[in-house]
Amino acid sequence: MATITVVAVSFGACHLEQVGRHPTDWLVERLRGEPDTLNPLTSTDAYSSSILDNIYEPLLQRNRDTLELEPLLAESWDISEDGLTITFHMRKDVRFTDGTPATAHDVEYAYRKIMDTKVDCPHQRNYYRDVKDAKVLDDHTIRFTYKEPYFRALEICGYTPCLPRHLFEQEEDFNKSRLNREPIGTGPYKFSEWITGRKIVLEKNEDYWGDKPKIKRRLYKFINLDSTALIELKKRHLDLMGLRALQWVKQTNKPRFKRAFRKEKYYTPNYNYIGWNIRRPLFKDKRVRRAMTMLVDREKILKTILFGLGEVVTGPAYVNSPYYDHDINPWTYDPAGAKKLLEETGWADHDGDGIRDKDGISFKFEFLISSGSTFADQLSTVLQGELAKVGIRMEVRRLEWATFLKLIEERDFDAVTLGWSLGVETDPFQLWHSTQADQGSNFVGFESEETDDIIVKNRRTFDLDGRIELMKRFHAILHDEQPYTFLFCSPSLVVIHNRFDNVLVHKLGLDVREWTINRAWSEE
Amino acid sequence: MGSYVLKRLLLIFPTLFGITIITFIVIHLTPGDPAELKAKAGELGAKNPLTKEMIEETRKLYGLDKPLHVQYGIWIKRLVTLDLGDSFKDSRPVLDKIREAAPITILLNVISIFLIYLIAVPIGVLSAIKRRTFVDNLLTVVLFVLYSLPGFWVAQVLITYLAGGDYLDIFPAYGLHSDGVGAYGRWTWLADSTWHLVLPVFCLTYGGLAYLSRMERVGMLEVIRQDYIRTARAKGLSESVVILKHAFRNSLIPILTLMAGLLPALLGGSVIIEQIFNIRGMGWMTFEAILNRDYPVIMGVFTLSALLTLFGLLMSDLMYAFVDPRISFEESEGG
Amino acid sequence: MASAGTTGRGYWAETWRQLKKNRLAMIGLVIVVAMFVVAIFAPLLANDRPLAMKTGDGWRFPAFKNFLPEQWDRAYRDTDWSNPEEKWGTIERRIMPPVPYSPDRIELSQFYESPSRRHWLGTDDRGRDLLSRLIWGSRISLSVGFVAVGIAVLIGIPIGALAGYHGGLVDAVILRIIEVIICFPTFFLILAILAFLPQSIFNIMVVIGITGWVGPARLIRGEFLKMRKLEYVEAVRALGASSARAIFRHVLPNAVAPVLVTATFGVASAILYESSLSFLGFGVPPPTPSWGEAISQAQNFIDAWWLTLFPGFAIFLTVTAYNLVGEGFRDATDPRLRGNEGEK
Repeated sequence: MATITVVAVSFGACHLEQVGRHPTDWLVERLRGEPDTLNPLTSTDAYSSSILDNIYEPLLQRNRDTLELEPLLAESWDISEDGLTITFHMRKDVRFTDGTPATAHDVEYAYRKIMDTKVDCPHQRNYYRDVKDAKVLDDHTIRFTYKEPYFRALEICGYTPCLPRHLFEQEEDFNKSRLNREPIGTGPYKFSEWITGRKIVLEKNEDYWGDKPKIKRRLYKFINLDSTALIELKKRHLDLMGLRALQWVKQTNKPRFKRAFRKEKYYTPNYNYIGWNIRRPLFKDKRVRRAMTMLVDREKILKTILFGLGEVVTGPAYVNSPYYDHDINPWTYDPAGAKKLLEETGWADHDGDGIRDKDGISFKFEFLISSGSTFADQLSTVLQGELAKVGIRMEVRRLEWATFLKLIEERDFDAVTLGWSLGVETDPFQLWHSTQADQGSNFVGFESEETDDIIVKNRRTFDLDGRIELMKRFHAILHDEQPYTFLFCSPSLVVIHNRFDNVLVHKLGLDVREWTINRAWSEE
Repeated sequence: MGSYVLKRLLLIFPTLFGITIITFIVIHLTPGDPAELKAKAGELGAKNPLTKEMIEETRKLYGLDKPLHVQYGIWIKRLVTLDLGDSFKDSRPVLDKIREAAPITILLNVISIFLIYLIAVPIGVLSAIKRRTFVDNLLTVVLFVLYSLPGFWVAQVLITYLAGGDYLDIFPAYGLHSDGVGAYGRWTWLADSTWHLVLPVFCLTYGGLAYLSRMERVGMLEVIRQDYIRTARAKGLSESVVILKHAFRNSLIPILTLMAGLLPALLGGSVIIEQIFNIRGMGWMTFEAILNRDYPVIMGVFTLSALLTLFGLLMSDLMYAFVDPRISFEESEGG
Repeated sequence: MASAGTTGRGYWAETWRQLKKNRLAMIGLVIVVAMFVVAIFAPLLANDRPLAMKTGDGWRFPAFKNFLPEQWDRAYRDTDWSNPEEKWGTIERRIMPPVPYSPDRIELSQFYESPSRRHWLGTDDRGRDLLSRLIWGSRISLSVGFVAVGIAVLIGIPIGALAGYHGGLVDAVILRIIEVIICFPTFFLILAILAFLPQSIFNIMVVIGITGWVGPARLIRGEFLKMRKLEYVEAVRALGASSARAIFRHVLPNAVAPVLVTATFGVASAILYESSLSFLGFGVPPPTPSWGEAISQAQNFIDAWWLTLFPGFAIFLTVTAYNLVGEGFRDATDPRLRGNEGEK
């Protein structure tokens, strides 16, 4: 009996080689996790956004090269003199995939739902905080009014999606709508199917109002382990995925691999950091924080465990944006200098126990890391070793996400390492204004009158050069104060199957919609 | 005996009650609030008034604003109508989620248990017959070595070297079906599923071989020494017949009683194997539920699993006592 | 009744005799003892401190002081051993331990090195020497095993004895409690509890122990129940001796053997548990060296075969050894298997 099974299995295995492969005009992409929902308002995970961008469209989009806002569903717009009113004029030829025309009412509906407290989207609502209202002037005109002038007003209103009001209104609870599993939008792709735990499939929208994409079908497969995903890629079950640094450097270099795939590396706005809780007596003095930064050998870490993929950053703006001041040099790794600073601020080993202390407090603290991140693990042990050499005792506490989040919420931490993903335009208000220290994202508790001023002024400055000047000053202050030890901006490392042509790397990354398929391509 | 069974069945209720209360308390003590988790997922650290209000709304929605004992009471009331509530994560009924995930785990475990018995029992018999010889020693070492290899280790090694990528490409790397297998016939589907099951089942099976075969070995050794075996021999039957017929049958008794105890494993699933092979079974679901503080799912799964365990324990005790009349029912409860 | 007596020194001598005949068990025992030795003497086997060094003012023995707690080891802990001259002046002679790296010594430029003369078993993702981490990791694995099992036994024996001795209501209640614990998917309980306890190796051990006491408890209970029936206990009781003392004196020694067997298997499974927890990210806090942590690093870079092979080997060797010893004990103490050398 056992032999029969084995024979059957191997017979099947040969035959099934075919089953796993997919037709050439499909694009199969890997997602690390499964989206919770495909509702653009309530979804909070990173996985759904890439899918949703193909289905739902907002009024404006950003040009991938010039980074300027340009028309999408809105053909044109007018901004009032005082900057408080923006009127969008929508295209008249847009339809949802069920045939219904898309109108300004649909956009207004989205706005209304965002502001509706019963809808599960507090993070979105935050962005629209300063919007006074949105009014439909006629079927294709919608006007947003702001309470105060804000340089991001156009962007925020412009990103309001166009939702199928006629379908959502048929259901009682927006949060539980069946459209969350079967979305219907106006975009270049329409939803085809979602097999729980396995994949989501999109089909080309043949009636799309704009440039139709060339790729007929897009599959998103959920594969949680990076190692398994790479294996699937090598088996040609995947066409597109992101790589980790180690995979990029060590596991994707064989000639056979290089014939079939291309690797692209590009930067997106992000940075990671170590955050010091300024409320704690240990980290109150900025010289101490500076000393801590001087004990992190960023260059070495980048060169070794990050394989040189990334850049050391010194401030809160995206390193490739005009707001980043490249003249500011990072504090170099300098244990001797750090020791001096610590002595200067009164932290020395007074009681002979090998650990620095001051006023009876020992320089001992807890460093929080989240259990999902290998890099955080590595970083924390490196830092621990360095600090031990200068008489500082650091304990590493690794927590799973829920508990980790809770402690940060409650500001119950000494130091933590995390990262931020930024937009093209950033307004530092959320992260750095003193009012956000207890309630917002400024959980390290950074407060300074000067930066508060800069932030508020920045919000009202519509002129790019003006903002650049303000942000550079902001950068300088943060560099001096070191509320974070800014670490690195990490690039996206992407691998793409070679049968796809017109794969261009823009400033904002890749745009799958412009890719074409070379049907004549073969691996030899 | 009937009264004993009845007594045990009735006792299941207080035990179950105890379990549900303890689970309830433990999950509420664990730091992390599901409502906050959902709200926060979009924006780390944001806690402005709008968000606070939203969290309150969510808590109301989940019933988390009520005092603990009331929450528990509501849950028990629902339980009586076999309604396990809705998951916090995606608002789907817990029962539906279990119905989706359970068959996968059950399938994996049933096949695995079957294979363990199939392989371990003959090995145990062989080991007993050839006690202290080279064969016995070799088998012992091999089995113990297999037991000592951590599951995730073996799984990763197998996937890397046998499932494609840079080395051999014999098996699929994850999941239970190939994509697009629906287009083919039923036989292809069967072969495809079997093909996908080989690695995960292997990982679940190899560790259990040691334990069961040792039990079988001890059981055989015990029985071979019995007086009535000597008697059978005196009657002049050939030795192999003696061994096979009498000893084997009797040695199976404790083994079979063990099977009832394996009932809970059917629902438990293996978190690690399911993670590595991307199989969305009960283990995976429960693990995610704990990480997300998805209380209804946690309560539902733990309760169901406890029920099965209690039932399995009862069955196992009954079989044990039934089969060996020398043991009273009380004693069997330790066995 | 077994010929070699059921209690007293004769019992244990007979057990030892039986055990010696079991070659596999003896090999296992040798390995277990070797592990112990390695664990105890870790500071002398793998350390970046010299075993002995001759400075300006005579010989010093830094590695030996590593056995002491921090307060008495101040001077050496403060030294940066990649540059000891800074603190100790010129060092004329130096005798290093066989593995001249401490498990915490991070050398980023040497990360993911495959085995070489410099690092016999290679390095991990932070440039720490793997052999050193495995040697020190034995301390963690063994203590996890022993503390966990120790707690389980310490809790389990009294409770089991209570249940078995009194019977009746006490027994029924304890049985229900035992059932409750069995019904809990242990793994998840461990996860849930670890979520809110501060992460430390000690807590992991305690939690594994607390969820594991039911095994020994049930065993002891079973023994007590059996003993209550034996005639000679009735006889002793009839003779007027305090029944409690009678039972305890006669029952416990017998019960120790099966508990010992459970304990050895328990140590093995505790070690495996710890490695599974490490894999899921719930294991020991950094920078503690543990075999589970070493092996879980392999998943990031499976081509680093040394990270997969050597920790796996350490785990398999230890766990197998414990299981062999445990089985040997079971065979040696089982009265049904003893005293039958005449049979084939």
